[in-house]
Amino acid sequence: MTAIDSIAVGFDGSAESAAAVRWAARAARDVGATLTVLHAAGILERLDAPYSHAVAPDVVATICGEEGLDVAHYHWVLDEADACSALLHCASAPVNAQLLVVGSRGHGKRPGLMIGSVSLEIVQHASVPVVVVPGHPPVPGARRPVSGP
Amino acid sequence: MVLVVNEAYDDSPHESPDHPERPGRLQAAASAVHGLRLGSDLIVAPAHRATRAELSRVHDGGYLDELGAYCYGGGGDLDQDTYATYESWTIATLAAGAGLSVIGELQRRGDGVGFVAARPPGHHALRDRAMGFCLLNNVAVAAASLVSQGERVVIVDWDVHHGNGTQQIFWDEPHVLYLSMHQWPLFPGSGGAGEIGGSLALGSVVNVPLPAGATGDVMRRALDEIAAPLVEAFRPTWVLVSAGFDAHYLDPLADLCLSDGDFAAMASCVSRYVSTPGRVAFFLEGGYHLGALQASIAATLSSALGAHYPGERPTSGGPGVEQIATVKAQRLAALESWTRVVRGGASS
Repeated sequence: MTAIDSIAVGFDGSAESAAAVRWAARAARDVGATLTVLHAAGILERLDAPYSHAVAPDVVATICGEEGLDVAHYHWVLDEADACSALLHCASAPVNAQLLVVGSRGHGKRPGLMIGSVSLEIVQHASVPVVVVPGHPPVPGARRPVSGP
Repeated sequence: MVLVVNEAYDDSPHESPDHPERPGRLQAAASAVHGLRLGSDLIVAPAHRATRAELSRVHDGGYLDELGAYCYGGGGDLDQDTYATYESWTIATLAAGAGLSVIGELQRRGDGVGFVAARPPGHHALRDRAMGFCLLNNVAVAAASLVSQGERVVIVDWDVHHGNGTQQIFWDEPHVLYLSMHQWPLFPGSGGAGEIGGSLALGSVVNVPLPAGATGDVMRRALDEIAAPLVEAFRPTWVLVSAGFDAHYLDPLADLCLSDGDFAAMASCVSRYVSTPGRVAFFLEGGYHLGALQASIAATLSSALGAHYPGERPTSGGPGVEQIATVKAQRLAALESWTRVVRGGASS
């Protein structure tokens, strides 16, 4: 197995995606990888630009700091694109991520639904391994990431 | 010349608080049509819900099952942009069927211009996923129906966002020429000039990505200098327009700077892509400033009908000319080989 030097994680401001960033930051610190934190802005954030350009990077910086990931080892990418396509594209140049990380559910989703699931789309179409991080474990002590393909 | 529109349907239950893709958009479209004062030259095609077979030409069966079940389960947010309600399945199938009904009426009459005033819009809807406010791909359902009848269809997409769903659906379809002019970078992130179609239809996708601030003269140049030679080689029998109006300078979701006069000019241009009467239909996609939407629809339809619309002047002077030159050089260099592909596809 080759060493992992680039990890990408999706972040949409939800608690689940924050958990994914935390898991990815810890993993990046442990293996010495660079972490790319991707925020796909979608269409509607055009109506609320301050969120995507100011608040979210601060949250990410806080999480990475708490996990001991040096500021030189992560960077924030804002992409005006569909979330699935943008994160999948991180497996290609210039990011060349060898591992994609995503939260189990993002904003506004109903638990258990398959339709509209970014994590499912990523797992189905990714060319590199994917880690899906549950935001809220179903039972105490069961907080284990699910990986694929 | 007559204008054929779809019968209005109750789209009000497909709504989410403060969402820009809202029922008022169809009210603006209706006002635009009413303001043309066409009298007996306005023909209303009967409402039609797209059938499972009609939808399955462009959408996976599993997706249709899931979407229907999701709606009847109460709906909710499908992603950060897209929502569905309990009634959305019914409304989306009416929107997808509206284009089929309008085209059917145009075929029966052999004359006229079609306008499909439907929501939710469709051009972002993928084979197996809703996104970008779109649930079912209305223009693709119509184009696929025409292809099944042996027609060759050019889809001109002037919505400010790239129509990634339409592109995906027809990626390997040589009987459809898909041309999109859109702001880039912008949602959904696709639509680069290098995306030109799959191996079975290489060259049948034409993307013209434009920078923020681009004006109407750039879009008109794209139609005249890039699209026209390709359309001439393709010899379409139908022209369908994914007519979004969010490239208008007043629209809140993007940064292009077109006026309603630019849409009139583009409508005149694309209407000449086919010589047989009754073979042009405009499908409403985006457009979220209601005043700009109403004026732009009125300008578009007036122009397509050959009438004068006393609106804004076409715009010019914005950036994007360099992008036009680049795409033009790429596509014209490959025109000969591409023509062989589409002629081969047309005879298959």
